[in-house]
Amino acid sequence: MALDEEQKPADSTEEGDQSQESETAPAVSSEPLAWMNDTLQWGVRVQPGRKGLTMRDLNVGIYGEVPESSSDMSRRPRGAFPVSGIPRTDLYALSARVDLWADNAVDLYEEAIQRRWMGHLEIGWDEITPQPYEFELAMRQFCTELAQQASIETDVIGQWLHKMNYAYHEVKTFLASEIFDTGRHYTTFRNRALHNEGSLGLESAGQFNRRMMETRPGWTEVGMFLYLVRGPLTLLLYRYGEAYARNRADKFLFRKCIEDKARHMAYGMAHVKYAVDNQPPGFGQGLGNLMRGVERDLVQDLRDPVLWEALAIIIGGSVANIAQGMAVVDDLKRQYIEDYLKRMQWAGVNKTEANLSPDLAAFLRREETAPTGD
Amino acid sequence: MATVESRTEYWERAKEQGFDLSWLSQLQEHVAGEGVEERSANDTGRVQGSIPRGNVARFGAYTFRTKSEVWAYNLTKLYEEFITRQWSSATDIPWDTIQPLSDDIEASQCQLATFFTQVEFVASDVPGRFISTMSPDYQEVRLALLAQVMDESRHLDVFRKRALANGGGLMRMIDSVSDVVGGSTDNAREFTEFSSRLHITGEGNVLTLFRLGEMMAYNEAEKAIYRRCAQDEARHVAIGVLHLRYMNEFAPERREEIHCYLDEGESRQATGAGGENPAGQSQLTSQALAVLLGGGKDKMDEGQNILRAIRQRQTKEYFQRLKSAGFDDRIHNGRVNPALLEQYKAAA
Ligand SMILES: [Fe+2]
Ligand SMILES: [Fe+2]
Repeated sequence: MALDEEQKPADSTEEGDQSQESETAPAVSSEPLAWMNDTLQWGVRVQPGRKGLTMRDLNVGIYGEVPESSSDMSRRPRGAFPVSGIPRTDLYALSARVDLWADNAVDLYEEAIQRRWMGHLEIGWDEITPQPYEFELAMRQFCTELAQQASIETDVIGQWLHKMNYAYHEVKTFLASEIFDTGRHYTTFRNRALHNEGSLGLESAGQFNRRMMETRPGWTEVGMFLYLVRGPLTLLLYRYGEAYARNRADKFLFRKCIEDKARHMAYGMAHVKYAVDNQPPGFGQGLGNLMRGVERDLVQDLRDPVLWEALAIIIGGSVANIAQGMAVVDDLKRQYIEDYLKRMQWAGVNKTEANLSPDLAAFLRREETAPTGD
Repeated sequence: MATVESRTEYWERAKEQGFDLSWLSQLQEHVAGEGVEERSANDTGRVQGSIPRGNVARFGAYTFRTKSEVWAYNLTKLYEEFITRQWSSATDIPWDTIQPLSDDIEASQCQLATFFTQVEFVASDVPGRFISTMSPDYQEVRLALLAQVMDESRHLDVFRKRALANGGGLMRMIDSVSDVVGGSTDNAREFTEFSSRLHITGEGNVLTLFRLGEMMAYNEAEKAIYRRCAQDEARHVAIGVLHLRYMNEFAPERREEIHCYLDEGESRQATGAGGENPAGQSQLTSQALAVLLGGGKDKMDEGQNILRAIRQRQTKEYFQRLKSAGFDDRIHNGRVNPALLEQYKAAA
């Protein structure tokens, strides 16, 4: 067999033309075994390193050239030999790097796999013994809310994943790992609510869920909502869940969820920042403007009593101590808004106390009363 | 521990302080129902079994809200298996066992790996698309699908790794669209159509091939890849079989329609159309397989003989799935694709 000599050597690591993926495919021969010559780059020998053979290791030569945009609609793996005349498979709405990319996705994908865990086996369910009645009820409500947050995240990602172009498989595979995590979070929290002959609480207030589900202009907008607005709240709820857990098993499950959520947010923040940095000027400002209405949705969810009273009972230990618990919940909300502002600013979205919705800003002015237990 | 009387008292006190607590009373009275509703009225993404509120905007607009459209037996157990049997393509494959191969063998492995790295994500994109169109009341189905999305990502990834690990590279992309009667896997809008196409036909064929991976592997790393992928693929095929079995029992009025999907699937299997069966006739991957199975490009005749046996095995296993799902009447009543029937007889 004769592989063409003119093929590029593997170690040619110079950056190729990244402006756009080549649209013209060379003619392929229909001769038997002609495919043996059909490669854009031969002689690649990636080696496993300290973390095994990672997806990042594969990004050598042309295989690592991530195009600014791709017009390929036929699922051609990045760097595979193109064939002309192949009908299009789908219309990938997200075919520009700026619409989904984050440099860290490739590492986060491998991390997700290395840090996988098994709720039904690794949580010591027997250690979760019945607690005082009101605490149990509140815990069921809290876990119902967290299970729904996870399931909404499944839906949100599910709506967008299949619209992403194959050229960005690092992001697609990372989001696959995230959607897998959401399934685990859903199951764990639902099972926790049902444990000890429990039952489920009320559904979420839902304003912000609707906002995430109904957002259409792009994954970046959805990503801002999912990772910079909802994400910090979920993360704080997990943290408080861990801090006020009454047994090792609950602590363990919240801690594992924190790890997962931190990973999701690492991608999301990096993506929004990447988009703001690489979209035309004014894009970040637009994201900030978009938040003006969205913040009012948030206020509604933050004022809905169900989740917050449940958490106040968990923190206080009983309804009798709900007022003390609620003081801590007010701290959580203040931290949440602070965190939201910080993350938006980090990503390049101009969100400050000055342009924050006055109703949200009101949460900032509450005095700190208790440590979070971090 | 508070008595009921004292509890009423201090709950009242808390309400006087401005706390709502009405949710707490609702929760107290709520008993989670047994089983899953036949028809889902869930439009707000709530957790199955949770207490609906009257004041939440509806945004679900789920296409699939009838149990008999999507349900399957034993998915909870299958999902647990998905969770326990995850693996890492970075660390669970003994990559260091790969040694340089002759050019024709390496090219054939790389062509096959290119095929898999391309088609594996069909099996990720498409189930992914269905998840969010399905009421969360049928969460067991959604969980199985999202777990499949994860598996397929790892498959895309492990085959890309194989193509770039041993002095080769990616090769020719695949045409999975031309010549497809009734549409490709991507096109299905109906869950049962999708599942019979992807899980039963497409992945069924791939599963047989992965199970025979030892025959086309040239080192421990390749053996491990095929072995682990076969385990994963068996779960994906199981989703389809468990769904069809449920449909057979609870939606018998759809049996004829399902037989039509199977007609289409069989014609793809018999002709190689749709390009999803790498062992299919007239696929360039079947040439690559013939090289690998025979032991070189000069031993392709031998390879083709083995490949014929593999196709027979694919058909045999497909027939077993039909039987398991309750659709094997087609094997005996003359409906099954004649070319497949011939293969089946030859395999017996
Ligand atoms: Fe697969
Ligand atoms: Fe599969």
